Amino acid sequence: MEAIHNLLLGFSIALTPQNILFAFIGSVLGTLIGVLPGIGPVAGVAMLIPLTFQMTPTGAIIMLTALFYGTQYGGTITSVLLNVPGEAASAITCIEGYQMAKKGRGGVALSIAAIGSFFGGTFATIALVLAAGPLTRFALEFGPVEFFALITLGISLLMGLAGKSMIKALMMGIFGLLLAMIGMDPVSGIPRFTFGRMELMDGIGFVPVIMGLFGLAEILMNAEKQFSQVFIEKMSSLIPTCKDFRDSFGPILRGSLIGTLLGLVPGMTGSASSFLSYIAERKVSKHPERFGSGVIEGVAGPETANNAHANGALIPLFTLGIPASPTVAVIMGAFMMHGLIPGPFLFKEHPEVAWGVIASFYIGNVILLILNLPLVGIWIKILKIPYGLLFGIILTFMVVGAYSISNSAFDVLIMTIFGVIGYILRKLDFPLAPVVLTLILGPLMERSLRQSLEMSQGDFRIFLESPIALVLLILASVFMIAPTFKFIKKKKSVISGE
Amino acid sequence: MPLIYLFVGLGFLCISIYVVWESKNLEYYTKLGPGGGFFPFWLGIIMGGLSLGWLLQEIRVKDKREFHFFPEGADIIRIILTVLALVGTACFMNFLGFKLTMFFFLMFLIKILGKQSLISTFLVAFLGSFGVYYLFANYLDVMLPKATIKFLSNLGL
Repeated sequence: MEAIHNLLLGFSIALTPQNILFAFIGSVLGTLIGVLPGIGPVAGVAMLIPLTFQMTPTGAIIMLTALFYGTQYGGTITSVLLNVPGEAASAITCIEGYQMAKKGRGGVALSIAAIGSFFGGTFATIALVLAAGPLTRFALEFGPVEFFALITLGISLLMGLAGKSMIKALMMGIFGLLLAMIGMDPVSGIPRFTFGRMELMDGIGFVPVIMGLFGLAEILMNAEKQFSQVFIEKMSSLIPTCKDFRDSFGPILRGSLIGTLLGLVPGMTGSASSFLSYIAERKVSKHPERFGSGVIEGVAGPETANNAHANGALIPLFTLGIPASPTVAVIMGAFMMHGLIPGPFLFKEHPEVAWGVIASFYIGNVILLILNLPLVGIWIKILKIPYGLLFGIILTFMVVGAYSISNSAFDVLIMTIFGVIGYILRKLDFPLAPVVLTLILGPLMERSLRQSLEMSQGDFRIFLESPIALVLLILASVFMIAPTFKFIKKKKSVISGE
Repeated sequence: MPLIYLFVGLGFLCISIYVVWESKNLEYYTKLGPGGGFFPFWLGIIMGGLSLGWLLQEIRVKDKREFHFFPEGADIIRIILTVLALVGTACFMNFLGFKLTMFFFLMFLIKILGKQSLISTFLVAFLGSFGVYYLFANYLDVMLPKATIKFLSNLGL
């Protein structure tokens, strides 16, 4: 009952013409970012944060979250029609979607993907509404001790799951924490690692760093190849048949569940959800041998799962204040830039923002469903713009985005430096997701650690005295240590010739 | 082991040494608890250990395959020029102003690197510089830099 009352409050805010417009702009821009090669959701959200400075916090977050789940829709279009995933979570859709497009059924694949995405997104949002009350009540019991343990768990989960090498993931996590140390010490106010530069007194801007690591690095990777023109498969009808709907019903239900559940786990990516959903569909299918030849179940399941994942990943952010993925971490940064701290206190102190944004998820998903199919033609036209022209346009928005964070050309330089760093690290297979998460969570982590130790007058046993913190820290240790054991076991089996 | 691995590993090691060194100038512990140097000190130590661990791991890998980290010929030139163009933009923006800097930046990128026609290059460069400035200044309240050179600022650039 309480949830319905809160949701109605949310709809009264989200349904104002201004907020509908923000959800609309976010959805369209998100789809565009998903469609465009060379710019993923992380850089896309970061790039648009400066545009929201003049908006109300609610409007800004509505636009950025709509942009986030909009990218999931956009990525599908290129996967189906070009066999090139617009973003990682849609990569698995290439297998069946492109085969369908080759048979002239690309339109049907896109329709089912849009319907599945709508269903998955709505399912996860309902889960968020239901989980918000109990989880926030639980999280309100948290003090600095428990909060430190929770952040540690979130970071350890992400590191445990990121990339192939634990040591590289740990290095990237620490690298992000070190970057977060730059600027004034939050307690004593003494400058740290600023190299005497005034621009670094307030810390290194996470927007230029993320745009560099994710956006510019991707552009530099693309610049390795000769810019080429895309070839798009022809598309016929957009309307699925009754059989298509029947075949997609089960995969959509399963995809919603898989995506929402995996979205809750920090470190799980949208691609993991869509991949797992694809595997699940192949397992439950009566004709698994047909997979790979363009079966609709292989589009419906993964596409539903990745959208459910995107919305589900917002549950830990809203209820516990912990971002579950790099893009959600950037959204968390946007919250903080607007003077809001996501988590249980958001529901208590700013219920209009929390519930307004949650209600806007329904609106955004409806907008995406209505807009996506009629706009497919426009997205295809955009894809036909030569990349030689497109990369100039993308770089313009990156320069403006980096500059306008603090009206400083220094931030453009920071973005460029981190673009080069990101390019090198990506080529060496270093996972970049931990950098984002620890860069944003670093100051909160340090503050809660220091507050905890101030409470105990420097006694570390305070972390063992709180049962919640103890459980969270044990879990964090397990997630950190488990991959190391797996690595040792693998080495042993290699040595023994297994 | 390819040289780039060594450079990156040593790079991280240098960062960790710098962090540990710098954090010694900050308060490690106060009467109330950890000071400003506590967290960075331990992070620096861990980073140093991890960098060394990673380097050792890479040294032990016996992969004799040829490894080309950077692309060759025109491909690497395209990357270098893109980076230099961005550095140039950051350096000149405050003197020449956003409009002129971005106009030259885009003309260079699209014509030289993107190899597009002169008309489309000019059109995109004009919209991406003068158009974006107008849009941001008038509709989004974001002030982009104006030229500080008197002659250019008199021209409204």
